[in-house]
Amino acid sequence: MKSMKKILGSLSIVALSASMATSASADVNVAYFLEWATPNQIAKVEKTYDKALGEKVNWVNFATGTAMTEAMLSGDIDIAFSQGLTPFVNAVNANAPIKLIGVAVAYGAGGDCVVSTKSGISKENATELEGKSIAVPLNTMSDYEMRLTLSTLGVDIKKVTLVDQEPADAAVSLVDGAVAMACGFGENSLSKMKEVGKSMLTIPEKTEAGITSFDIVSVTEKFAQENPEAVKTFMEVTAQANADFAKDQSKLAIIAGDAGLSVEKTKKQMAGFSFPSVEEQMSEYFSKDGKVASVLPFMGKMFATEAAPAKEDYSTVVDTSFLK
Amino acid sequence: MFEFLFEYRGFIVGTIFIALIATVIWAILYGRNLIRTEKSDAVFGNPERALGGWHWVMTGVSAILIVWIYFSWDAARAFNPKAANELCQVGKLSSAINPIRSTFPLDDGFLKGTSLLVRENKQLNELADQVERLGFSDAEKSQAKETIDLMRKAIIGMTSPEYLDSATDAKFKEIVSRIDGLTAKLADQNYPGDPTAEQIAAAEKNPRWGDSGNEIPAAPASPRGYKFDAAAKEMKTITSDFSKIRNNNSNFLAQVEKLKGQIASLDTLVKASPGTDELLIANRADFVKGLTRVLRRVDDGNIFPPDALNNIQNALVKLDNEQKSQQGGLRYYDILMMPGGEIRAGSSSCSEQGSGRWLPKPSDTLRTFARISNPEIGYKGYPLLWYKMKPFGEMVDFIIPDFIASLVPGDYPRHDTNGIVTPNFKSKVRDFATGNFESFKVPMPSGHVWDSLLRVLAGLFFGIILGVPLGLFMGLSRFSKGFFDPLIELYRPVPPLAWAPLILTIFGIGDDGKIFLLFMVAFAIMVISARTGATGTHLSKIHAAHSLGATNRQILRKVILPNSLPEILTGIRIAIGVCWGTLVAAEMLAGTTGIGFVENVARKQSDYEIIWTTIIILGLLGLLFDLMMRWVIDKFIPWRGKG
Repeated sequence: MKSMKKILGSLSIVALSASMATSASADVNVAYFLEWATPNQIAKVEKTYDKALGEKVNWVNFATGTAMTEAMLSGDIDIAFSQGLTPFVNAVNANAPIKLIGVAVAYGAGGDCVVSTKSGISKENATELEGKSIAVPLNTMSDYEMRLTLSTLGVDIKKVTLVDQEPADAAVSLVDGAVAMACGFGENSLSKMKEVGKSMLTIPEKTEAGITSFDIVSVTEKFAQENPEAVKTFMEVTAQANADFAKDQSKLAIIAGDAGLSVEKTKKQMAGFSFPSVEEQMSEYFSKDGKVASVLPFMGKMFATEAAPAKEDYSTVVDTSFLK
Repeated sequence: MFEFLFEYRGFIVGTIFIALIATVIWAILYGRNLIRTEKSDAVFGNPERALGGWHWVMTGVSAILIVWIYFSWDAARAFNPKAANELCQVGKLSSAINPIRSTFPLDDGFLKGTSLLVRENKQLNELADQVERLGFSDAEKSQAKETIDLMRKAIIGMTSPEYLDSATDAKFKEIVSRIDGLTAKLADQNYPGDPTAEQIAAAEKNPRWGDSGNEIPAAPASPRGYKFDAAAKEMKTITSDFSKIRNNNSNFLAQVEKLKGQIASLDTLVKASPGTDELLIANRADFVKGLTRVLRRVDDGNIFPPDALNNIQNALVKLDNEQKSQQGGLRYYDILMMPGGEIRAGSSSCSEQGSGRWLPKPSDTLRTFARISNPEIGYKGYPLLWYKMKPFGEMVDFIIPDFIASLVPGDYPRHDTNGIVTPNFKSKVRDFATGNFESFKVPMPSGHVWDSLLRVLAGLFFGIILGVPLGLFMGLSRFSKGFFDPLIELYRPVPPLAWAPLILTIFGIGDDGKIFLLFMVAFAIMVISARTGATGTHLSKIHAAHSLGATNRQILRKVILPNSLPEILTGIRIAIGVCWGTLVAAEMLAGTTGIGFVENVARKQSDYEIIWTTIIILGLLGLLFDLMMRWVIDKFIPWRGKG
């Protein structure tokens, strides 16, 4: 059936482009973020992954988690490292065949909402944000964080003008005073924002408000079915890199170089990060009422649209078998 | 509002599809007939030959619609709305088989064991090459070589049939018999028996294909569906048992144990005499680590003798053939009517992959279009195109600058001890200029489309108003040509998108930045076209006007301007197109409203229906503008090309 389908498909340019996109290469293709410092970048630079897998690992950087999903669906990417939960949930709502297989980074300060000092707004008078503008990359973890922050502070989101901007652009808008608050991620953008403002909520306040931000490792179902050992090895190497880094931070410069950040900024960013070990992931995140089980449905409803309604059950897209 | 249409979409789309095909056939026949019967004296190259031909317009439009309906699988859904549900069950089975299937050379490539073998041997060869270069002592060298040899032997031990233990072989046989059993069950008409009450309830709850977004109903709902669903569940257990089988014959296990010891002793040997060169120490440690890694992969025991799995492969082929024949007509329906992709079963749902995913069905797109056109819904709480009652004062505020209030002498009034403010003349002027007065309300258009339209029109307006005069004078005066030429030629070739980030930083996220960007685009085009028009005026016409006593101003107004009109209008036509292109990108960079904003947000949610809706809106607007320009050109310069 497949070969005949292929012949028919190749008759048209439309189908041709689709089939070209789905032809996966033999290497392992991994998506990651720049400006997002993680210990496994040491393993990436030192080619530990390549050696452990016995295959060439291609690392491709992306600007957004949505782009990662798109690349996974077209077959160009097998594993997305540190994809945000929001784009993942959006993809799952749209029935994309991808799976959550682990937690990459948990962060309190990696993403943040910064309110400008000029506006004179703080969490005491946060309702003054109504009628003002907020710059935020829509449908990302920052969007999720902003929505929770506003609802915690009792701000009516319908009365706020949302400006859809990438974090770097959002920082410029905040500096210019075009917006009263900017939400984003990435240390370069955030430190630029904090030059003219301060965080709306402190990390303990965020935790209290239930804003748990963590990035995940996701994989296409096809790749997980066909190469379970490879996925397992990938997670092992990652866990090992995290454990090694916890003991010895001498290789920070490697991470900084790979992430495209200065060493100080890397240090600052990683101070707000935690990299849960396999045991922590199993107990805190993947337990029966752990963070994943509680946040996924919540976020799924938050970002549901007419075309991509929330799922009744998100547990089917979580697969922890590669962690053990 | 169009929901009742959506209810009967299958019938409607099917009828339209057949009608479109009929149109194409009719138009081709009609066209051929016309060629035979029509008498025309026009020679090749005469534009008269291109006149008429509306039947070809119909053919072109029909062809596009046919391609869209066909490749988006809308026709497939119209003629067999249950197909997706059944193919979803088929997809479940193939997704359950896939882990076993991918280890065999059934589709493409090598047997998995073969590729593992090649990979490990390649790595061992690389390690063997390194031995000489790492400055090992003779004892170390021989031990390292011995380890590598032993590893090679261990791999050979896995591939030679004589070592395969009977327990593993029995497991293989069991898998074969289970797959064969499943094949027989698939062939059995009564398998899996009557559906349970739960299954029937789930089937009744199934939405229709595509009722909500790109959803494919997942619960089996037909006899064929029940069969494949049950087979998929059974296959899953077979697959998971198969993936647990390891080649752990006693000979191999002994070799692995020995290897572990060898590597450990090599490690201590290497560490005992580290040498002084740091790089060499690191490389040696890497070498030992490399050996360990190969061993860790080898001791997974995923390599089997070359023919050990043949029976499983044969059983799989039989199963594959059986499930193909069980699909029956469905298979051909899939191939013929659902091209360029497949329905894939995921862990939680089935989805369309390939063109079915990113090319939404015309009927669904139209429905989404109708839905977000509803001003009550809109997109992100803002309508696409609607009107809003706005107080007249706002327009006064827009037109009259606020600073005129500051020009009025005197101070603004202060509140008195009773807290009452008595307005004076200055504050009244200010209230008027800022639109802060009671006024009647006027309906004003609003919405994403209007915002985009306004930006384009504003950019074009300023571009034309400033660009045309400058262009004309650059064609006529030495000073303006020399002075402005380098300025314009320097910024004009830069793609407008390259300016976008800078302009947005300077002007911020408001409308002014976007309008300025569009102005820059339109301005350059208008200057160039007006200048070309001015310099292209026939000298004889200017001389004629001059000798009839025309003043400079008259020559400019009556001769040069009309003669450059064709160039200017063509310039406007081009500028409109480029402005739309730039606008969408500008709205993507910093958007609160506008078509580009809608498209960018939809992209992040993989909402292809909305993306296509915006594309269609942009296409229609472009077409509308172009038709308008054609009309303007026909109206104002009917003599073009005839002079």
